[in-house]
Parts: sequence; structure tokens; C-alpha cells
Amino acid sequence: MASKSLLRSIPRAANTMRALSTTATKAVGATYESPFSSGNGKPAGNIPDFSAYRSKAGSNSNLLFQYFMVGTMGAVTAASAKTTVQDFLVNMSASADVLAMAKVEVDLAAIPEGKNVLIKWRGKPVFIRHRTADEIKEANAVKVESLRDPQKDEDRVKKPEWLVMVGVCTHLGCVPIGEAGDFGGWFCPCHGSHYDISGRIRKGPAPLNLEIPAYDFTEETLLSIG
Amino acid sequence: MPAASPIYNFLVRRNYVFLGVIFAGAFGFEMAFDKGSDRIWDSLNKDRQWKDIRAKYVQDADGDDE
Repeated sequence: MASKSLLRSIPRAANTMRALSTTATKAVGATYESPFSSGNGKPAGNIPDFSAYRSKAGSNSNLLFQYFMVGTMGAVTAASAKTTVQDFLVNMSASADVLAMAKVEVDLAAIPEGKNVLIKWRGKPVFIRHRTADEIKEANAVKVESLRDPQKDEDRVKKPEWLVMVGVCTHLGCVPIGEAGDFGGWFCPCHGSHYDISGRIRKGPAPLNLEIPAYDFTEETLLSIG
Repeated sequence: MPAASPIYNFLVRRNYVFLGVIFAGAFGFEMAFDKGSDRIWDSLNKDRQWKDIRAKYVQDADGDDE
């Protein structure tokens, strides 16, 4: 019952409370009397004057400065995040030495007719043969339908006198020997596969013709493999 | 609050504009940072890099490096 009567008495006391709160809107720089007491009737102390710490510049320049700092932080973060992601992606791409090895240029003027040249390209041997007119005729005379891996000679060369092939046997990956075998082309010593003068499989266990790499004649006598 | 400054109104008030300003700033900052750090690196390693000493070893000036 006592608490009930106390609650009823609050609206009457509210006037003095409001009076306290309205006096709080004082001019800047004035000291404030604390509305609280320390319990034994003495005041709890004065709230200090913060006006010395307040910005003199006004709220607008402060607002702009704060957003400028936020924006700068965002920009630096975005740039560094982009750089981090880019570095990881660049790390995955081929390095300069790999790219340098990926392409090989051969001067064809140094290869006489009827001769083989073996060069290294991406760790694999590549045969280049300067074929004679007779050999070209021989390669074209073969009945394509009778072959294990039917392929016309003109599909295997860009210029008939230059035969460019990856020198890896399609059976188990040995390197065939040039100008050998039953068909005047290449012969694999490992399991006896015979390739003809166009690099097509003719006899033995190999299932496919010798592979043709991507190549181009950049100049009249300059061959670029890769 | 007094009227905001025109810079604030133009660049910051709308969030998509502010975001665009941030990304444009990031782009510009990255370019400037890369250029500046490259310049510092080059000045620290002057006459020690291939591009500085290339002229001593490569005579033909066809500019077409292999």
C-alpha cells in the first residue's frame, strides 16, 4: 500500500523534475550543477566544462573530414584487395621462362634436301625433314584407306617439302629413329613401329600417326614451332 | 545543422556516388602507388637492371626482342 501511494505522488513531483531538466539548456561554456547528490545532502560535484575540446571548425567541415577518412580507407582497402587477388592469379599463369621455352624458331635454310633435323621443343623432340620430290610423291601415292590411321599427306604438312612432327612414338613414347624402317621413314626401336615418309604408322603396335605440332612459316625460311 | 558544403552534397550524400568516388579513388591511388614505387625501385637499382645495361651487350637496335 505504501508503494502505491508513492506512485500516485509522482505526477505532482514531476513539475520539479521538469524544471531541473529545462535548466540544463544553458549557454555553451557555462558550468553545470549536478542534479544528483552523493547521498548525504552534499552535491556530487560539478560536471566539467568541455567547451575547450569542442571543434571550432563547425559541424560541416568535421562531417566532410570524417567521410573523407572513411572514403580514403575504403579506397586503400579496395586497391590492396585487388592487388592481392591479382598477385595470386598472376602467380598461377605461366612464368617468363616457360613462355620463352614455348616457342622455338628454326632456320630452314641450314637444312639441305633429304636431311632430318631433331630439335627440342617443350621438352620433346621434334623432327623436321626436308623432303625430296620423290619422297613427296611417295607419300601421296599411298592408298589412304589402307592405313591404320587414315590421313592424307597434304593434311599433315603445310608445305609439302617440310615435314614437321613431334618425335614421340604414339605407342609408348620412345623416340623413333629417322631414315629407317620398312617404309623409308621412321622406325621405333622399342617395339618395332614403322612410320612412312609422312610420319604415318604402317606397321607395328603404334595406334596413331606421329603427332603434328602447331607450327608456322613466319618467313620464307623461318619455321616457328608452338 | 547548417547547410552542408557543396562537396559533401555532390560526392558523399548519395551512397552510390560515394562508392563510385571510392572506386575511382582506388584506381587512381593504385596507379600513383605503382608508378611511385617503381620509380623508387628503379632509382635504388640504377645501372643494375637489364634495361639499364642492355645497350652495352645488345648492339642491334631493332627493338624486336625475342
